[in-house]
Amino acid sequence: MRTPPPLALIAEVTHRCPLHCVYCSNPLELKARAEELPTETWARVFEEGAELGMLHVHFTGGEPLARNDLTQLVAAAHSRLLYTNLITSGIGLNEKKLATLIEAGLDHLQLSFQDGEEKFANWIAGAGAHAHKLALAQIVQQSGRLAFTVNLVVHRHNLDRLDSMISFAESLGPQRIEIANVQYYGWALKNRQWLLPTREQVKQSLAVVEQAQERLKGQIKIDFVTPDYYATFPKPCMGGWGRQLLLVDPSGRVLPCHAAAVIPDLHFENVEQEPLRWIWEESLAFRRFRGEDWMPEPCRSCERRTLDFGGCRCQAFLIAGDANSTDPVCSLAPAHHLVEERLVRTNSLTSTAPSPSLTPQSAQSWTYRPQPP
Amino acid sequence: MKALSHVSHPRLGIGCRVRKAENGDTVLLLPEGVLRLKGTAAEIIRLCDGERTFADILGAMQAQYPSSDPKQIAQETESFLNRLLERRAVDFQ
Repeated sequence: MRTPPPLALIAEVTHRCPLHCVYCSNPLELKARAEELPTETWARVFEEGAELGMLHVHFTGGEPLARNDLTQLVAAAHSRLLYTNLITSGIGLNEKKLATLIEAGLDHLQLSFQDGEEKFANWIAGAGAHAHKLALAQIVQQSGRLAFTVNLVVHRHNLDRLDSMISFAESLGPQRIEIANVQYYGWALKNRQWLLPTREQVKQSLAVVEQAQERLKGQIKIDFVTPDYYATFPKPCMGGWGRQLLLVDPSGRVLPCHAAAVIPDLHFENVEQEPLRWIWEESLAFRRFRGEDWMPEPCRSCERRTLDFGGCRCQAFLIAGDANSTDPVCSLAPAHHLVEERLVRTNSLTSTAPSPSLTPQSAQSWTYRPQPP
Repeated sequence: MKALSHVSHPRLGIGCRVRKAENGDTVLLLPEGVLRLKGTAAEIIRLCDGERTFADILGAMQAQYPSSDPKQIAQETESFLNRLLERRAVDFQ
């Protein structure tokens, strides 16, 4: 059977970013500006992707606006009838630039906020970006010409204020609010001990989200990314390995997800050398965990294997040291005790967590994501 | 929640659009994903142009399917549009 086409391409066009968020999902080894693909190569990737049958391009980074050819990239994707989505911090965007992007065919803009309150937001971002984002949200909302999502990343330091953060997001006038618990990869994994929420926080936040979803029904759609360390079963990471999505990193490497480069024995092909279709359908990295043949027990005989696909391969490697094993967040996983032990420590944490009054230097374990070389 | 009434003018939500996929399916593209529109779903969406009222849309669907129970067409169309509203895939003006 022919491999079904991907639905969407995550175009990680640069790792450069004016923000330094402590939970950034970029890999620890950031790609340098000198390694970034040129405009023409991205345009070819979109063309090959459209021919393959994909429908969406999600422009992300780093900060996509750090590239001065972003308008051309959006136009190239749009010309192939691809739905274009810009995932941005908003830094580098103003009314004029936004109008240019909309003219080029931008369909949707997702603006991230690190918090509803400036001092917390700037502390998490390691940059004074909040005020600019607020001004920008107003411009996006008033343009009325593209879909607008407000993204809120939640963790130990803001979950208690989720209710007011949702009110804040609501006031910006989006059609959608995404509330995303931190996923522990990249820089977030480095800062995990300071970001993991407590069980009580998670419990209360679920009620807050449900109430908001009910209250805003038909007005604002609220998407919620669950805190998977507290889940009974793993998330269907990326909708299954090599099943719906592919990611092209700034240097052209094609990965099944944001974090896959952590898995040591995989080689990822590059769009500079190979056609996208071949990489998607035939390359070893994409075939490695596609389907069910790779699955160990308990996944192999589990009736949930068609729902969660064994969970996340990167998480299996990062927590259990074996990418072939069941995602350790699964309550049935042989390595689940490692997650439970982590949560016991989190829920009995006695050491002082960092706070906005601490400088990065004094909060020694708090690592801000740096700029790529 | 905004209620759908006979005088509402349903139209596609902002930033949502319909196209044919490579395999010939009609798809509704949303910021967060794709809805494959099968059978009458594609016809209803085509009628959501912001000009027609909900009553016009029902009339058109009932004319298209004269042998189906008009009440059932009305119920199914309404619940389909309400589900899309929850995803902000349509707006009712």
